[in-house]
Amino acid sequence: MIDSDSVKNLAGHPFDRRDFLKVLGWGGAAAALSGCGNTSIEDGKETVVSYVEAKDYVIPGVAVYFNSTCAQCDAGCSITGKIREGRVLKLEGNPESPINKGKLCGLGQAAVQHHYNPDRVREPLLRKGDKGEAISWEKAYALINEKLAGVKGEEIALLSGDVSGHQKVLLGNYMDSLGSKNHFVYEAVSPAVVRAANLKFYGVEMPRYRIDKAKVVLSFGADFLGTWVSPVHFAQQYAAFRKGVDGQRGVLIQAESKMTLTGANADRWLAVRPGTEGILALGIINALGVSTGDVAELVKDYDKARVSRDTGVEPSNIDKIAALLKLRSPSLVLAGGAAEGYVHGMQNAAAINLLNQVLGNVGKTIEAPVSVPFPQMAPSKGRTAALKDLNDGLAAGKYKVLFNVATNPVFTAPASYKFRDNMAKAGFKVAFAHYLDETALQADLVLPLDSEMEDWGTHVPEYLADTVQINIQQPLMERLHANTRGMGDILLALVKQRRAEEYKAFDDYYGYLRSAVLQNKAALGGAGSDDDTFWNDTLSNGIVKLSGASGALSLKVDVSGLKLPAPKEIDEQYPMNLIPAVTSNLRDGRHTNQPWIQESPDPLTTIVWDSWVEMHPKMALQLGIVEGDIVKVTSKTGSVSAQVYLFPGIYPDAVSIPIGRGHDAMGRYAKGYGVNPFEIMDAVFESATGELAMHETRVNITKTGQRVIVVKDEGPAGGRQMGRKIAARVSTDQVDLSKEV
Amino acid sequence: MHRYLCFPAILAGFLMAVGCYAATDQQPTLTTEDDLGPQVQQPIEFPHYRHAGNRNTVDLTNSDPTKGGMEINCQYCHTYARRSLTAGIPPLQKCVGCHQNIPSVRDKPRIVELFKYWDAKKAIPWKKVHDLPDFVRFNHERHIKRFIEQQGRPVQEVCGYCHGQVKEMTTARRQKPITMGWCVSCHMKEHVVVVANKDGIPEGGTPLGKQAYWYTFQKPAETKNAAGELTAKGPNDCWLCHK
Repeated sequence: MIDSDSVKNLAGHPFDRRDFLKVLGWGGAAAALSGCGNTSIEDGKETVVSYVEAKDYVIPGVAVYFNSTCAQCDAGCSITGKIREGRVLKLEGNPESPINKGKLCGLGQAAVQHHYNPDRVREPLLRKGDKGEAISWEKAYALINEKLAGVKGEEIALLSGDVSGHQKVLLGNYMDSLGSKNHFVYEAVSPAVVRAANLKFYGVEMPRYRIDKAKVVLSFGADFLGTWVSPVHFAQQYAAFRKGVDGQRGVLIQAESKMTLTGANADRWLAVRPGTEGILALGIINALGVSTGDVAELVKDYDKARVSRDTGVEPSNIDKIAALLKLRSPSLVLAGGAAEGYVHGMQNAAAINLLNQVLGNVGKTIEAPVSVPFPQMAPSKGRTAALKDLNDGLAAGKYKVLFNVATNPVFTAPASYKFRDNMAKAGFKVAFAHYLDETALQADLVLPLDSEMEDWGTHVPEYLADTVQINIQQPLMERLHANTRGMGDILLALVKQRRAEEYKAFDDYYGYLRSAVLQNKAALGGAGSDDDTFWNDTLSNGIVKLSGASGALSLKVDVSGLKLPAPKEIDEQYPMNLIPAVTSNLRDGRHTNQPWIQESPDPLTTIVWDSWVEMHPKMALQLGIVEGDIVKVTSKTGSVSAQVYLFPGIYPDAVSIPIGRGHDAMGRYAKGYGVNPFEIMDAVFESATGELAMHETRVNITKTGQRVIVVKDEGPAGGRQMGRKIAARVSTDQVDLSKEV
Repeated sequence: MHRYLCFPAILAGFLMAVGCYAATDQQPTLTTEDDLGPQVQQPIEFPHYRHAGNRNTVDLTNSDPTKGGMEINCQYCHTYARRSLTAGIPPLQKCVGCHQNIPSVRDKPRIVELFKYWDAKKAIPWKKVHDLPDFVRFNHERHIKRFIEQQGRPVQEVCGYCHGQVKEMTTARRQKPITMGWCVSCHMKEHVVVVANKDGIPEGGTPLGKQAYWYTFQKPAETKNAAGELTAKGPNDCWLCHK
C-alpha cells in the first residue's frame, strides 16, 4: 500500500492530502486502462508436469476424498480430506462419525497449515554446540541405542501427550523393553480435576453428558462450545438443546469469572468471584430446599446473603436459578476448567456434581460411558501433575535419557518449574518434533515427525459419543519432505533394537497396524469378510464402530470431606486474580504457528495476532487505564507486558490473558507474537489431585506509559460499540428470568 | 501546480508498464480472428500433425511421416478434458502404451527421448501454451458436453474453436487471443436453439423442455433470427469464470 509518506519521499517534494488523492485518481485510471481486454495469457512460461503413470481414479482438476482423523486436539473428530493432484487441499468432518457428524471446527480446518507449514523440521538434527547438524536416520537410531547402553530403566523417562490406539501399545512395549515405567502423559489443558470429581460422584471419570436432553444447562465455567472436552460434539447437542425438548427451548446459564464463548451464548451470564463456584453451587442447593440428611446439613450455612456476599452473585439471581431448576427437569450442571483451577478445585467440582445429584440428573442427562473392549488401546489421559512429577525427577537428576513425544513443556510449564534448566540435567534428550519449538531447541537429538496427514495410526477418543469407535488415521498424501518419519515407524524401529525377534515380521508401522487390525477382525466386526476387503473397508470408512457395554453410574451421595474454603482475602500487594484463558483458537499454544489460527479473530475480543490483558471497564477506570494501554502484569513469579482490552464480561477483580501466544521459537508465525501467561503463573497445586491450579495466581497491574491501537475486528478503539455485544441494557436485577423463558 | 502533475504521470506510466505491456496499443477486435502466440520450445517436439492430422488420401499406408496423419481423436490422449475443468497433459504411460508396440519408429530421436524419460520414470516438463491467469476458471468439461455431446459437432472443430488448427502443428502454438473479450465475443452471439423432438431427444442440438438450454440463473430473452429460429445467448455471468 502506498501511503502519503512514502510518496513524499519518492518525489522529494512536500505533498499534501489533496495532491495525494489526485495521484491515486490518476494511478487508478491507469490501472483500469491496463486491465481492460489487453491482458495476455502467458505462453510458455510455466511448466505443466504430467503424471508418468496415473492411477485410474486420478483426473487432474477433480478431487478425490479420503477419510482420516483430526489430530489438532484430542476430541477425535473424523475428517474427510479433499485431495487434488495428490495434494490435500481441504478438510471437512466425516458424517459417519457420531462424535462430529460431518462437522469440523476452525482449529481442525487449520490442520492443513500444520501439514504445509514451512517451519517443519525436515532432517534428523544432532546438537553441535548451538547448531543442529543434519544426520541420517540410521545414525540417529544407532545413537539412541548407544546412549541407552548401560542406562538403567528407571533412569529413562518419556513424556507424551494423550496417546491411545496401537501407538500406545507400541509405546508401552518400547518402554517395557527398556525396563522403564516412567511414561509421563501430560496435557497442559486437561479436565483432570473434573475427572477425579466425576470418579468420586458418578463412579466414572468421564460420563456422557446429554446437553440435548436437558431443559436447563447450568455450566460453571465449562466452555463446552469452545474448548471443553469435545466441543464439536457438544455444539451439536447444544443445537438440539436450543431447539428444545417438548417444545421448550433449553435455557443456558453460565457462571464463571471470565466470559467464555459458551458464556457469550448463555441466556444468563453470572460473574462469579474467582474460586467461589462451589459456594454458589451449595447456595443453589440450599435455595432449592429439597435436600435432606447429610446434604441439608452441609448446605445449611449457605444462605443467600452469605453466598451472595462470597460469590458476588445477586441473591435474586440465586432464587431465579433455583426456581428455574425446580420448574424444569431434567437439567444438567457442568463443572469446567474455570471451577477446577484452584487449590480447592476438586471441592468446587464436587459441590457442582452434588448439585446434579440433588437435582436427580444422574442417569438422565448424565449417562454411563461405553467401555472400550480393548483396554490396552483406551486413551492414556494427560494431566498437568505428570509434568510436575517429571520436573521433580529431572531436578533431582534422576533421569539420564529423556524422550519427548511432540509436547512442549518448556513453553507450557510455569516459569517457577525452571523446566528448561532441569531438562538440561538429563544427559541425553531426544525430541520427536514437528517444529523446532521451545522444547525441541533444548534437545540433543531432534527427530522430525510426519504430519498427521502423512502418517498411519489408530486413535480411541476419551469422550465417546454413541458407540465405541476406533478412528483410523491414514496418509492423505505422500510425504512433503523425504526425511520425516511417522511416530509409529520410529517406535517400531526403536523397539526392534530391543526385541528384534518379536517384531521382525513387520517392515513398517503400516504392516504392523494392518496385521494388528486383521488379527482382531472378528472382534472389530469383520467376521466373514476376507482380509483385503475388511482392511480396505476400514480405511475407506475411517472409523471402526463397535458396540461397547455401558456400565452403571453410581448414585451414592457421599458428601464426606466436602469442605469449601471461604473466599481469599484481598492481597494488598497482588490484588487481582489472573485467569489464564483457554481460547478455542489457540488452546495450549501448540498450533499458534498456523497463520489461520493467528489471524482468525478471538470469538469474544476479535483481537488477532497478539495477546491482550482483559480487564473490566470499572477496574480500568479506577486504575486510570484505557484500551490499548500497555500494562505490566506482575505476579510473585514474574511479569509480562501486554495491551489492555476492556471487556465487561469479566469479574472486576480479575484480569485475563489468553494462553497460547508468546512463543520464543516455533517458527515465523508463532515467534514473537504476544506474551505467555505461563511465565507469570505461580506453582500452586490442587490439593486432592496435585494438578496445577492455573487460576490461583495473584497479580498487580502497573501502567508502562505506552499505548497502542488494539488490532481488532470491531468498532474504533473505545468507541460506542463497546459493551453492546452483551445484552446488558437492563441491569440484572430488573430482568425477570421466568418471563424471558 | 504543474510540478505535481509529473507524479501522476510517473505513477501512471509505471502502472502501465507493470500492469500491461500494451496499454497504448489498439484493443484487439472481439472476433475469433487468429492472434498467433510465440513458438514455445518443448522438451520433445511432439508432432500433433502426425497424430491428429488428416489421412493422406493418396498414400493409404500412411507411411510417410511428412504427409498425412492418423486422425486420432483429440480426446484419446487428452482424456481429462471431458471429465474435468483442466484438460491435463496425457500421462507418459499413454505415449508408451502405444509406442512400445510400434517398433518402426522406435529409433527416431523423439521416440528415443520419450523412452529416456519413461525408463527414468521421470515426468516430461512440458511448457504451458495456453496459460490463463489464476483468477480464471475455464471449464473444458462444460464446453465438450455442450458442443460435442449435445450438439454432436466434430471433435477437432470444437477443440479448434479455442486451440486453432492443432492438427496441422507440431508442438501446439496459440492461435486465438484467449482474452476475456474474446471469450465474451462468442458468448454474446445469438446461437440457434434446437428444439428436441417429441420424445425429448435433442436432434443434434440443445434441448428445450426437459433440460434448460441456458446455464445461468436467469433465462435469457428469447429472440428469433431472420429465419424464424429461436436463438439465445451463451451464459454471461461473471462468476462462471471468476469464482
